[in-house]
Amino acid sequence: MPESEFAVELAGITKRFPGVVANDDIALRVRRGQVHAICGENGAGKSTLMKILYGIQQPDEGTISVDGAVVGFRSPSDAIKAGIGMVHQHFMLADNLTVAENILLGAEALHGIGGGARKRIAELAHVVGLETDPGVLVESLGVADRQRVEIVKVLYRGARTIILDEPTSVLVPQEVDELFDTVRGMRAEGFTFLFISHKLDEVRAIADQITVIRRGTSVGTADPRTVTTRQLAEMMVGSELPSPQTRESTVTDREVLRVEGLELAGDGGGCPLLAGVDLVVHAGEVLGIAGVEGNGQTELVEAIMGIRRAGGTVVVGGRDVSRASTLARREAGVGYIPEDRTRYGLLATQPLWANRMLGYQSRPPVARGGFLGLLDRGAARRDTERIIAEFDVRTPGPDVAAAALSGGNQQKLVVGRELSGDPVLLIASHPTRGVDVGAQAGIWDVLARARARGLAVLLISADLDELIGLSDSIKVMFRGRLVADADPSTVTPEQLGSAMTGAATTGAATTGAATTGAAGTATATTDAGATGTHRRAHPGQGAR
Amino acid sequence: MRNRRALALAALLASAVVLVGCARDTGTTPPAAGGDAAAGECARNPAPAAAGGAAATAVPALPNADASALKVGLAYDIGGRGDGSFNDAAAAGLEKTIAELGVVKENTKELAAAVNESEDAAATRLRQLVAEGYNPIVAVGFKYATALGTVAAESPDVRFAIVDDSTVEAPNVTPLIFAEEQGSFLVGAAAALKTQACSVGFIGGVEQPLIQKFQAGFEQGAKAVAPEIQIDSTYLSPAGDFSGFNDAAKGQVVATGQFDGGADVVYHAAGASGQGVFQAAKAAGKSAIGVDSDQYNVPAYADVKDVILTSMLKRVDVAVFDYVNAVAAGDTSTLPEIFDLSVDGVGYAVSGGKVDDIATDLDAYKAAIISGQITVDTEPTS
Amino acid sequence: MKRIRSVLLPPALAIVFAALLCAVALVISGDSPLTALGAMITQVGEGTTAVDIINSGAIYYVAALAVAIGFQMKLFNIGIEGQFRLAACVAAIVGGALVLPPVIHTIVIILVAAAVGALWAGIAALLKAYRGVSEVISTIMLNFIATGLIAFLIRRDTFGLLQGNNISTAPIPESGRFPGISFGSSGTIFGMVFVAALLGVGYWYMLGRTRFGFELRASGESPTAATAGGVDARRMVIIALLLSGAVAGLVGIPELVGRDFAYTLTSPQGYGFTGIAVALLGRNHPVGIALGALLWAFLDKSALALDNVGVPREIVLIMQGSVVLSVVVAYEIVRRYELAAEQRRVSAQLRAVPVPEQQEVRS
Repeated sequence: MPESEFAVELAGITKRFPGVVANDDIALRVRRGQVHAICGENGAGKSTLMKILYGIQQPDEGTISVDGAVVGFRSPSDAIKAGIGMVHQHFMLADNLTVAENILLGAEALHGIGGGARKRIAELAHVVGLETDPGVLVESLGVADRQRVEIVKVLYRGARTIILDEPTSVLVPQEVDELFDTVRGMRAEGFTFLFISHKLDEVRAIADQITVIRRGTSVGTADPRTVTTRQLAEMMVGSELPSPQTRESTVTDREVLRVEGLELAGDGGGCPLLAGVDLVVHAGEVLGIAGVEGNGQTELVEAIMGIRRAGGTVVVGGRDVSRASTLARREAGVGYIPEDRTRYGLLATQPLWANRMLGYQSRPPVARGGFLGLLDRGAARRDTERIIAEFDVRTPGPDVAAAALSGGNQQKLVVGRELSGDPVLLIASHPTRGVDVGAQAGIWDVLARARARGLAVLLISADLDELIGLSDSIKVMFRGRLVADADPSTVTPEQLGSAMTGAATTGAATTGAATTGAAGTATATTDAGATGTHRRAHPGQGAR
Repeated sequence: MRNRRALALAALLASAVVLVGCARDTGTTPPAAGGDAAAGECARNPAPAAAGGAAATAVPALPNADASALKVGLAYDIGGRGDGSFNDAAAAGLEKTIAELGVVKENTKELAAAVNESEDAAATRLRQLVAEGYNPIVAVGFKYATALGTVAAESPDVRFAIVDDSTVEAPNVTPLIFAEEQGSFLVGAAAALKTQACSVGFIGGVEQPLIQKFQAGFEQGAKAVAPEIQIDSTYLSPAGDFSGFNDAAKGQVVATGQFDGGADVVYHAAGASGQGVFQAAKAAGKSAIGVDSDQYNVPAYADVKDVILTSMLKRVDVAVFDYVNAVAAGDTSTLPEIFDLSVDGVGYAVSGGKVDDIATDLDAYKAAIISGQITVDTEPTS
Repeated sequence: MKRIRSVLLPPALAIVFAALLCAVALVISGDSPLTALGAMITQVGEGTTAVDIINSGAIYYVAALAVAIGFQMKLFNIGIEGQFRLAACVAAIVGGALVLPPVIHTIVIILVAAAVGALWAGIAALLKAYRGVSEVISTIMLNFIATGLIAFLIRRDTFGLLQGNNISTAPIPESGRFPGISFGSSGTIFGMVFVAALLGVGYWYMLGRTRFGFELRASGESPTAATAGGVDARRMVIIALLLSGAVAGLVGIPELVGRDFAYTLTSPQGYGFTGIAVALLGRNHPVGIALGALLWAFLDKSALALDNVGVPREIVLIMQGSVVLSVVVAYEIVRRYELAAEQRRVSAQLRAVPVPEQQEVRS
C-alpha cells in the first residue's frame, strides 16, 4: 500500500473556464477507503472539479496528488492509469452491445476478451451486485443495472477511486438505497468514492466526509454524523434554504388546457412515446407530472407545444390548437420553460434583448407589425430591462450575450420572458434544474404568484420535493402513459417514487390513485405491462 | 496496287479525269492500301481521283521580311505556353519569327489567360501589351473576341490578330482562322484506312462549335473511306464547361470505353485531355490520333508516342509566323482568308511513319478537298 | 469601440498574415515581394482596372450576399454557381427575345434572373425541407445539371447563335440594357453596382430589423431554440434558400445588362465559389462582405500586372486562399476570446455585488 493516507488530494485548483462557474482555489483531501461527498448547488463547480480530477480538463493552477504523488493528467486515460474512474451522470453505454462488450470496449488489452475477461467481469459484477447475465444487451437493462455496469466498467480498468457524478439523479428512492448498499460494501473492500450530489439527505446517509463547494470555491468540510441538513444547506448557499410551500388552493373550474388522447409513436416502431394521455389544467392550478426521466414527459411537453406532431387534441383556453403551429400556440397564450434552456430556451451568443424576442417575434411589444414584419428593438430592450429588474436577473445589462450569464440568471430570464405577455398557460419543464438556490426560490415564488393570478401551470420536474411542494395535483407518468394520480398534500416522495417505477404493489399505495375510475384503470393496465420485463431507462433519449 | 494509284495520280497531273477508282463496286474493293489485316467486313471506297492541278504543295510563301523592329505580343488562351497543343503551336510560330524574321526575343511578350476570368481581364491583358508598345499583338483563342473588339477600337494604330475568330470587324484586326474540318477529314480517312475493326472513335474536349468542326470533318472523312464504319463520338464536357480540355483522367476513361466498345483508332480534339486518350490507347494496344501540334514529337507524350498514328495539324504556328511576316512586310492582305488545306494551314502529320503506306490515299483526298471535289461540313450531321 | 475592434481586428490580422505568407513564398521563389506589391498597386491606376475592380467587386458582393443569407441559418448554398449561370442564361434568352420599353425591359430581365435563381435553389430547398437531403449535396449536383441545361439552351438548334467559333444567345436590344456611369477610357461602372449596394442595405435591414431576419439568425444559432420559439424550421429552410437563390440569380446580371448583352460559351464562371470565399471573409456582415469583395476584386484585377514584372500570378491565389483561411481562424479565436472575456467580465461585475460570507468550516 502506498504510504499516504489520502487517495486523492487537490490543492489550489483554479480553472478559468468560460462556463457558468469557474473553480477558484479549491482544496480537497479524500481519505482512502472513505466515501467523500462533494456538495454544492448545481453550477457551483462540482462537475468542473471532477472533470479536472478525471483529466477531461486541465486546471489553470493547482495540483492533483494521487496516493501522495503529484500527477498531471492530460486525458482520462492518465487518470484511469492512476486508478481513478468516473461514472458519469449520463451513462456512456452502447445500448446495442452486451454488458460484457460494454465493459470490455476499449479495455481489451487488460485481460483479453476470452475466459480471463469473463472471469474478471464475474468477480467485479459480484462486487457491485450486478446480477444480470453479462451476455444480455444493455438496452434491456434498467437504470440501476446500467449504473452498476458503469461501475464495473471503471473497476475493470483498475480503478480504486471512483467518482460518482450525481449518481442518484436518475434513480428512484428504492434504487438509491440499493446503490448505497453497494457503495458501502465496496468501501469495506477498500474502494474510495467521490460522491457528487446536491441532495443533502443522501449525502448525509452515505458520506464519511463532506466538502462543500459554493460559487466555484471550497467553503469547508463537514462531518455527516454531526452536521444537519439545514447546516449543510446554509454552507452550500450561504443563506437560508428556501423550500416550496403548499399554499391554499387557487384552483378554479375554468379549463385552460385540455389534452385528450395524445398519441405519439416511438421511433422505429418501438413502444409508443405517448399513449392515450388525457389531462386537464385549470386556471390557477399547478398540475405536476412525476416520472422517471424518459417516460414521455419531454414528448408530452413537445406535443403540447406543437414541436412534435402527435395524435389527439390539445385545447388551450377553449380553442382547439391540435393542428396549430408552435407560434400559434404561443400566441394563444402558452408560455414555455424548456427543460434544457441552453438548447431550447436561449440563443447563446445573442444579447439578452434578442433572446427576449424569441417566441415573441410576432407579438407586441417586440413586433411592430407591418408587411415586412418589422421588429421593435428598442421596445425589446426596454422590456428586457423590465425582466432584469422584475426577476432579479444578475447581469450588467441587456446587451451581454446570454452565454455570459450563470445558469440561474439565464433561467430567470427565460422564466421572465415566458411570463411576459400575460400567458394563460405555462408549461414549465424542470424550471429550477441547474439553478442556484437563490434563483430556485425566486422561480418558485414567481410561479406561485402567477398561479395566484390565475395562470394554469403544467409542471414537469424530477425534483419530487419541488413537485409535491408546488403542485395542486400530481399525475405519474410511466412509459408514455399517465398511470396514477397523487394528492400532493398527502403523498410522500417514496410513494411517488414507487409509482414512477410502475411497480405493481406501490402503484396502489399512491395516495389518491383510486379517486377516479380512469386513473385506477390506467394503473392496472400498466401493472400488467410492467410484470416480467425490465424497465427501460430512457426510451426517449435517442430522440432528443 | 500502289503502282496503279501512282498511275492514277500521274493521270491526274496530266489533268485527265480518270474515273477508274470511282467506277468500282465498293463491295468488291479489295482492302485499301493500308488494309494489311482482315478488314474484309469493312468495305472501303477507293480514294477519289481529283481534278488535276490542285496539289496543295504549292503554297505561295511570301519571302521573309525583316521583322527585327517589331515588338510582338502574344496573349494566350487558358493554359498558355506548355499546353502541348494549341497555345504551344502559337508559341512555335513566335519562336520561328525570332529564328527567321529577326524578331528580337527581348521584344516579345507572352501573357496567358486564367481559368474562368472575366471579359475585362482579357481586355486588361491586351491593354497591357498595347501600353508597353507591343505591335503587332496576337490574341490566341476566340475568347478574346469581345475584348479585342474593345481594345482594337481604343488603339487604332496597333495591329492585332486573333486566332480562331472572324467576328471582330476592325481594320486593324486580322482574323487567323482555320479549316479544322478539312484536316480532320484527312485523319478521319486515315483512321478508316487503318482500322481493323471497322470502328473508330472521336473524343472532343468540349461540345462547342469549334470542336464540332473537328468531329464533322473526322466523321465525314472516315465515312468517305468506309461508309459502313462505326464512329463513336463523345465529348468530355458540355458547352460552357471547359474542364474537358484539361481532364486527362476523363479522357482516359472515355477513350478506354471507346476501345472496349470496339474502336481501334481514336481521334481526340481535347487539348490536354489527349494525354489520357493516348494512355488509354497504349493500355489497350490500340491507336490514337493527335491534334493541333504534331503530337508524336511533343516531349510530354514521348512515352506514348508509339500509339500516335498521326496528328491533325492546325498550323497556328504557320499563321502566327505568316502574320508577323506580313506585318513586317507591311501588307496583311496577302494572308489567306482561311488557313485551310490549300495553304497547308491544316494537314496531317507523318512523324513516326505510321501513315506512310496510306499517304497516297490521303493525298488524293487532300487534292479532292482542295479542288472542291469534296466539300467538308463544319457541323456534324448526326 | 470594442465592437469595432473585434470586427476589424481579425480580418486585418488575417490580411497581414496572408501577405507575409505570400512574401515568404515570393522570396523563396526568388522574386521581390515589394516589386510585386508595387506592380499590383500601380495597376489600379492603369486603364480600366479601377473600374473593373468596382464592377467585379459588385458582382462578388452579390454572390457573397447570396451565400451569406444561407450561412445565417447554417445553410451552405454551394449552388450559387449553377443558380447564377442558369439565371443569366435564361435572362439573356428572355431579354433577347422580348420587345419592351426601356427600364421595364431591364427590370423584366432582372426579375427573370431572380426568379430562375430562386427556382433552381428551390429544388434544393424542397429536397432539404421535405426529404432531408443535405443542401450541400443537392446544390453541387444541381450545379452540374445547370451546366448541362445551359449547354442545351445555347445549342444552335435551341436558342444559340453561332458567332465565329463562339455561341451566343440573341443579343439584348438597347432597351434592355442598364446604362452605367462612363469614365471614358477608364471604363464604365455598371449601373447594377448601385443595385448591388441596395441589396446590401436590404440584407442588413432584413437581418436586423425584420422578423424574418431574426428567425433566420435564430435558426442558425440554435435550431432547437428557434423551434421552441415558434420558428417553423421547414419554412425557414425554404424561404432562406429561395431568397439565397434569387440573389444568386442576380450575380450574372451586371455583366449581362451592362457589358456583354448576351450569354455566350465564354461567359464568366466561378463567381459562385468566389462568393463563398468573400462571404467567409466578410463574416456575413454586409459591410464586411463589401470590403472582402473589393479586396478580392483588387487581388484578381491587379494580379494581371504581375505578369509584367515576371512574378507568377498564382501568388494571388495563395494570397486569396490564405486570407480566407486565416480570417476564419482569426474570427473564431477572437470570438471565443471575447465570449470568455464577457463571461469573466459579467461574473466579475456580479462578484462585486455583495456575496455572503466566504469561509465557514463546520464539523
